[in-house]
Amino acid sequence: MPTSGHRPASDEEETMTAAIHDEPARRSGTDRPAVRVGVTAPASSTHTVPAIRAVGLGRRFGDRWAVEDLDLELKPGEVFGLLGPNGAGKTTTVRMLAGLIAPSVGRAAIDGIDVATDPEAVRARIGILTETPGLYDRLTARQNLEFFGQLHGMDRAVRDERIERLLRLFELWDRQDGLAGTFSKGMKQKLAIARALLHEPSVLFLDEPTSGLDPEAAFVVREAIGSLRTSGRTIVLATHNLDEAERLADRIGFLRGRLLRVDSPARLRDASAGHTVEVGLGGPPSTAVLDALRTAGATDIAADGSTVTVTVADARRDTPGLVRALVSAGADVHSVAERTATLESIYFDVMGIVPDANGGR
Amino acid sequence: MRFAMAWAVVRREWREIVRNRLLVFTILVPPAILVALPLIVTSSSHPQPLPPEIAAQVVASRPSWASMSPTELVQAFSLQQFLSTFLILPGYIPLAIATFSIVGEKQSRSLEAVLATPIRTVELLTGKAVAAVVPGILASWLAFATLVVLSAVLIGSAMTIVFTDPSWIAAVFVLGPAIGLVSVVAGLIVSSRVNDPRVAQQIGSLVILPVLAIVVIQTATGRLFTAPEYVLGAVVVAAVGVVGLRAAASLFGRETILTRWR
Repeated sequence: MPTSGHRPASDEEETMTAAIHDEPARRSGTDRPAVRVGVTAPASSTHTVPAIRAVGLGRRFGDRWAVEDLDLELKPGEVFGLLGPNGAGKTTTVRMLAGLIAPSVGRAAIDGIDVATDPEAVRARIGILTETPGLYDRLTARQNLEFFGQLHGMDRAVRDERIERLLRLFELWDRQDGLAGTFSKGMKQKLAIARALLHEPSVLFLDEPTSGLDPEAAFVVREAIGSLRTSGRTIVLATHNLDEAERLADRIGFLRGRLLRVDSPARLRDASAGHTVEVGLGGPPSTAVLDALRTAGATDIAADGSTVTVTVADARRDTPGLVRALVSAGADVHSVAERTATLESIYFDVMGIVPDANGGR
Repeated sequence: MRFAMAWAVVRREWREIVRNRLLVFTILVPPAILVALPLIVTSSSHPQPLPPEIAAQVVASRPSWASMSPTELVQAFSLQQFLSTFLILPGYIPLAIATFSIVGEKQSRSLEAVLATPIRTVELLTGKAVAAVVPGILASWLAFATLVVLSAVLIGSAMTIVFTDPSWIAAVFVLGPAIGLVSVVAGLIVSSRVNDPRVAQQIGSLVILPVLAIVVIQTATGRLFTAPEYVLGAVVVAAVGVVGLRAAASLFGRETILTRWR
């Protein structure tokens, strides 16, 4: 695995090498959580080996770095949202982690197996939903799955059993003999997810799973992905759909060439929230009311009709003082609410994007 | 090389082919035409005898034809020219299948999912090549057998000697498959660079043009190629195919397909 040229191998990388070498012994047991809705949990991986580990991972195309210095560790069973705008390097990251393209620098392992030195073993352990379903339109749903089952070396009996289970799970059983080319976009996407799950991979990569789908189809696919959350499978969800990531992911990583920030949606919101309070008054605030707010420690005071938005150091601590100050100044306080940060605002903040309604940034 | 993997690719390709009407048309119609054409030309025309010097050259090349009448000789000579069409067939059909297959996968972006499985590039490439070559070869052999039977019935049993000549056997059963190999290689290489199967076929069909040289040389000089010459030609063509296959394999690298194929 290449480590030179970009950054020297670190102690962490040495540890990772040891983990890779010790991998067979460590993965002998299975302690996956129970499975919901008929999706079988992956048969291997223990909690001692990260499902995905990347250290200093980077990929260059010509002179341009698509991704660089990517450090990441995912636990088995974790759902990770990889968020970023178009061209941020999400697909390149997924392809490197899936052993489809070699990293220019750094290293990565799936279940302790190095993606660069044993990509074939890595590909046997991963399932991938590519940006487009990439189905064979002239084959039936069943034939599409049969083909991929054969490529994963599955016995006919096992293949047939899993195909039936997955087609039923994704409500495609009645269309098993229908040509994939005749399916709706949502059905195609569900079939592609079934294909990715057929060999019961321990890690599932979903690259823009709802991209280009109408709201109904996107909902159906999102529900299907949601049903996998409890399967004990590690899922990497590469998307630029913030709502999707927030709903499905345990942790979210913001990617723009580099992994800028990683945290759970709740902690991201907590870290960004707690500073803005919105106060509903009986009428537009008087000068005395605004002065009272300033005296109480509020900054960035903005009035819009009878609503006043202010920034404080700690909303929970400072709100009672704000209310007392407003009442003392003669204001009729109708409502007080802490404004919650949205993932969208956090996204813009982390990406350094200033949204412009006129299309600029 | 795990043959089960390659065989899975072959079966998948064939399942798709039978549902592709244009491709089925491409596979079935040319052999039918190539069987009918020599029979029609040879049986319906009233040929003039060959010029003495050409006739002498033909008999020198095929001593077994010495007992033929002047009419039979010119019929045999005419039929001999259609041998080249049985070399074009195993080149044309695999080219059509390979280009449809690869360009089709580029358009549907189905290769990425395949490349994400444990299949090796050589297994995928072998599966695609076999799936393209075999129908072409079988079609040409079937067409040849049909021509032999129908010519005996429609023209006369004297013509059977033309098709059972070692030169035909060598051309159809040795040089034909070698041309099929080169054709598939050309299809693989060209298809990796273009996004329209028709464009790929037009460019790839250039590899078939040298076959026409056989017709030109034979008709211009009256000299008929012999079985050893066809076998030698097959060796050369196969060598070109093997070298081309190595070039195609590099174009078919996983990273190349994922990052450069557009």
